[in-house]
Amino acid sequence: MKILEKALLIEILKGLALTLRKMLFAKPVTIEYFDKVRPVPAPGFRGRHALVRDEKTGDTLCIACMRCVRVCPSKCINVEYEVDKETKKRKVVKYEIDALRCVYCGYCEEVCPVNAVVLTEWYEYVGLKREDLFFDKEKLLKNWDEFIATQKRPYLNPFWKPRGIPKKFLPAKKRQFTGV
Amino acid sequence: MATYLEINKKQVNEEKWEEPFYLNMGPQHPSTHGVLRLFLELEGETIVNCTPIIGYLHRGVEKLGENLNYNQAIVLSDRLDYIASAANNTAFALAFEKLMGLEVPRRAKLLRTIVCEMARICNHLLWLATHALDIGAMTVFLYCFRDREWLLNIYEKICGARLTHTYVRVGGVRQDFTQEIIDELYKFTEEFPPRIYDYETLIDVNRIWLKRTKGIAVVPPEDAINLGLTGPCLRGSGIAYDVRKFRPYDAYGEVDFVVPTGKNGDTYDRYRVRMEELRQANSIIRQCLDKLPETEGEPVVAEDAPDLLMPERIKKPEPKPVPKKGVIFRGADVPVVPPGEAFAAIESPKGELSVYVVSDGSSKPWRLRVRTPSFVHISAIPYMTKNHMIADLIAIIGTLDIVLGDSDR
Repeated sequence: MKILEKALLIEILKGLALTLRKMLFAKPVTIEYFDKVRPVPAPGFRGRHALVRDEKTGDTLCIACMRCVRVCPSKCINVEYEVDKETKKRKVVKYEIDALRCVYCGYCEEVCPVNAVVLTEWYEYVGLKREDLFFDKEKLLKNWDEFIATQKRPYLNPFWKPRGIPKKFLPAKKRQFTGV
Repeated sequence: MATYLEINKKQVNEEKWEEPFYLNMGPQHPSTHGVLRLFLELEGETIVNCTPIIGYLHRGVEKLGENLNYNQAIVLSDRLDYIASAANNTAFALAFEKLMGLEVPRRAKLLRTIVCEMARICNHLLWLATHALDIGAMTVFLYCFRDREWLLNIYEKICGARLTHTYVRVGGVRQDFTQEIIDELYKFTEEFPPRIYDYETLIDVNRIWLKRTKGIAVVPPEDAINLGLTGPCLRGSGIAYDVRKFRPYDAYGEVDFVVPTGKNGDTYDRYRVRMEELRQANSIIRQCLDKLPETEGEPVVAEDAPDLLMPERIKKPEPKPVPKKGVIFRGADVPVVPPGEAFAAIESPKGELSVYVVSDGSSKPWRLRVRTPSFVHISAIPYMTKNHMIADLIAIIGTLDIVLGDSDR
């Protein structure tokens, strides 16, 4: 029996039959990317950076608390601010993210107390020069406008308010947040 | 490495030589799975001696970790073994939690176990795909990548990244699962076992596969221990050592699974062990999913866990009643993390991954040491390749399942 099986190549034919069956009856899993299918990433996908634009003032929500700068493991965020002498409030002058240094961990959006910074679900972006991936404040706000035009409102990123996290870790403003 | 260059030069110039033939394999060879360089001493086509040369992917993870705080160091661990980063995250987090004396909520433990086992399936699928491709089976490669893609899509829903998850944090996990993810995982666990059967139909009894793997790189049990092999390589030699069974961490104590072992300790046995582990991992995911409803509504991070943004120093609070005017209160620093040392080991898909951390009370580890399985396994290559053909060397590198990001750190 063993010799007959060996001579007739039974085990190889079995494998070939499986391949043939898959070839004829299984649904193809490959997609024609870009021309026909554009996959939509899952909510919370950590993609291109953006600064949320405040619809009332047209500027960023950022209050320059520097929490994102301190939590960033790759030190890719640079923030400069000036203090208003009368109201003692901080105002952002410079907000820069070097996307080539970024490791896309999403810590910055989780610690931001006002949900100003976000890693959007936008994954199709390239730069032909290094400067193209060095986002300053204007570019980050433009990224947000490009991104929010494709989204349903109100938009809530899962990392702004992670599911199942104790209230202790969320500041009051984050707890009551329902989306922009 | 001037000596190697000199030898090679000498061989080019001389027409006939008595000494053995020297050959450099790598670091850009596709089947060395990264940037591993092997210096071979050949006699005809048989390997007399083999020297692995590593360090082409050295990034200094241990030293970098000493300049980042505990939560930031977990981000580095993603880049060690980038195929199964959830397991690395867990190893780091376990060591840090032991240091801080944190008790992780049960739901977070179950979630960690699920992502660790998903990482194991991901890793073994990629291993099977590339190992089979190196030996010459193309179809398995395509099937394995199809299934791995499914798992990566689930990972994307869980934590928003496909490869470098950063899902585990000190004291728990970043985010809870949604019902959609749980449903998808149930669907995966149901459909996956028949697919393992498919791979086995293709190569399990295939005569080419058997000839390339049976009797290749036999490691007897004593030698496997002496070489420091862990994980499936050790279990293939017949020693049922598994950290998940002997020192259970996370939720492994409450799930039911067997540790598969081989008999002969050759390449084929290690392949069988890994295929069996795929089934066990699948059943562990299933058991954990069944337990998830019991812990519905629990937080996924321990209450006393440090914030993502750890303070650099904590000042001792001012004593009450407030000292009278004129007395200067000197606020001494309270240690952010209790000083001391901690060690944690986990069964990562490739072997035993352990982390040793020493703290001096500041928010950054004073010393961070990582013991990675790939580094130890590379040191076993000279032993395993002795008196084998060059073609078998490809199978041996494949069966050890090494990743150079893991070994060079």
